[in-house]
Amino acid sequence: MLRNDGPAIETHGVTRRFESRKGFLFRDVTRTDALQGVDLTVERGSIFGLLGPNGAGKTTLTKILATLLLPTGGVAKVLGHDVTQDAAWLRPRMGLVLGGERGLYNRVSGRENLRYFADLYGIPTAEREERIRSVLERVDLLAAADRRVEEYSRGMKQKLHLARGILHRPEILFLDEPTIGLDPKSARETRKLIRSLVADGVTIFLTTHYMFEAEELCPQLAVLSKGRIVARDSVDRLRQLVGGDRTLEAEAYGFDDVEVAALRRLPGVSKVAEEEFGPATRLTIRLRTDEIGIEEVQRALPGHDELSVRERRTSLEDVYLDLVEEEAR
Amino acid sequence: MALVTSEVSRTRSTAASLRLSVLMFLADPQWLIPSMIAPVVFGLVAFELFRGAGPYFLTYAILGAGMMSMWGQTLYGSGWATGQDREFGTLEPTLQAPTPYLYVVLGRVVWNVVSGLIGGGIVYLVVVLAAGGPPALPDPLAFAILFVFVMLTLAAVGVVFAAFYVYTRYAGFIQNIGEFAFYVGTGCMFPVVLLPFWTNPLALFFPPTWALDALRYNSIPGYVGFSWGFGWDLVGAVATTAVYLAIAGTVFHRVERHVLEVGNLSDF
Ligand SMILES: Nc1ncnc2c1ncn2[C@@H]1O[C@H](COP(=O)(O)OP(=O)(O)OP(=O)(O)O)[C@@H](O)[C@H]1O
Ligand SMILES: [Mg+2]
Repeated sequence: MLRNDGPAIETHGVTRRFESRKGFLFRDVTRTDALQGVDLTVERGSIFGLLGPNGAGKTTLTKILATLLLPTGGVAKVLGHDVTQDAAWLRPRMGLVLGGERGLYNRVSGRENLRYFADLYGIPTAEREERIRSVLERVDLLAAADRRVEEYSRGMKQKLHLARGILHRPEILFLDEPTIGLDPKSARETRKLIRSLVADGVTIFLTTHYMFEAEELCPQLAVLSKGRIVARDSVDRLRQLVGGDRTLEAEAYGFDDVEVAALRRLPGVSKVAEEEFGPATRLTIRLRTDEIGIEEVQRALPGHDELSVRERRTSLEDVYLDLVEEEAR
Repeated sequence: MALVTSEVSRTRSTAASLRLSVLMFLADPQWLIPSMIAPVVFGLVAFELFRGAGPYFLTYAILGAGMMSMWGQTLYGSGWATGQDREFGTLEPTLQAPTPYLYVVLGRVVWNVVSGLIGGGIVYLVVVLAAGGPPALPDPLAFAILFVFVMLTLAAVGVVFAAFYVYTRYAGFIQNIGEFAFYVGTGCMFPVVLLPFWTNPLALFFPPTWALDALRYNSIPGYVGFSWGFGWDLVGAVATTAVYLAIAGTVFHRVERHVLEVGNLSDF
């Protein structure tokens, strides 16, 4: 009855400071403010994507929401329950996949790893073996189920992490970079699996560095940069936020400042970014309106025989880089 | 949709942890050294060391070597397995599961007690074979029961040490101090005449000290240990063990909270 009440995740001003000590008798204290006031709301029953550069605080936020780390300040609620107060209520209802090479018992088989966690999660004994079999099948690991985990490839370990995360049928699943280390086929299958979980009613909160993945999977996204949410919206709205749907790319061997300034003055241009590509330079031109196109840009850049201009849709990657750069400035 | 068991069975978690301990033991041949080979070596060394030291030297040899190997298996093992959880990165998913970590530790302790008993059994066999006959035990049944009892007191200390390993990756340091206290304090390897352990009051905080003294009173006629004798030894052993178990019960809860505050769960 409570299930569809209120948001899946709600945070207010969540902060997290780490203190690491070193030096003689740990006297040198280094403080890192990994999260600096995160306000976030995530609706139930869909996939929410969290993007952000290395060290932005994605894993930190994920662990706080999954009750593996306490916030230093602020309030975080998952399924309406406070992560600090109600961990005991939350833990059976949530799954967490941190992924990577660690986190598994390498000397025993994948199936034994799952049996152990099935017992810790109190999955009914009568159902256990069938549940493990179906989860292994779902992540395509059935054939390797009885091999020792130390013989698994990185991708297979990642799949086993996923299998453990969904074994107890959580209501909400946290995935920290779920497709990292997977080959394109396995990554595609994992994304398919993630979508099928949503169809089963699971809420998914995932972090990723892959823009196309976020674009493909997540109707709603947030960008985290230096411990703060710098944007939170749908992909389309984020495109508008950074200045439009259309992007032109002009490539040639070097442009001078006068030319770039001229482009910036063209109608509807919201941004021009310059990027070196070996001997060549690429200008990325973001357009707010339909007033100009390829021809106008070609005309503004005379005297480049080798000039090539093409138009493409503003990608999430453009949006992301704009946002993160803006934050860095 | 989610099938949530209101209360995860603690016995089941303990059983799961015991099962995993056995599987990991069987999967790793390095374990053969502390669990099977070390007792043989300890048994032979102790036999030579105590040979001719009075009529009950066989019992001394069995107790000395037995304690040496049980220390490793029963006490050290519990803390060490938790240190491994840190190293493997499995501490995070295990704490994330709804079972309190204490029950995972208890499963390991059960296994460590069993493997400690196997080690003690091997020591007994080796010494008996070397001597060509069994030791003169006044009451073999009481000896066996007290032997298991010593092991349980060791296990209780092991649970507390495991908490250190959850608390910090530097737990090995704390445990090594404990190890020193055990060797010197309980005088497990030396005839008591050589090492007057009652001069070391620290050892009295250590339940195995009491239990081992009781075992010696019981199995070595004319033994002189704590002046209060066998009965109070038993009382002291039970009382200190109870204190350790009580500490474990409260400490684990706090330690689990502490590591979430500090955020050092993935350090190793
Ligand atoms: N246990 C810790 N102790 C000290 N500092 C930490 C700890 N965990 C994270 N940090 C710091 O907090 C900041 C955020 O780290 P976090 O791992 O959350 O970033 P991230 O967004 O997940 O990065 P990545 O994309 O590389 O995974 C970093 O500066 C990191 O060094
Ligand atoms: Mg991360």
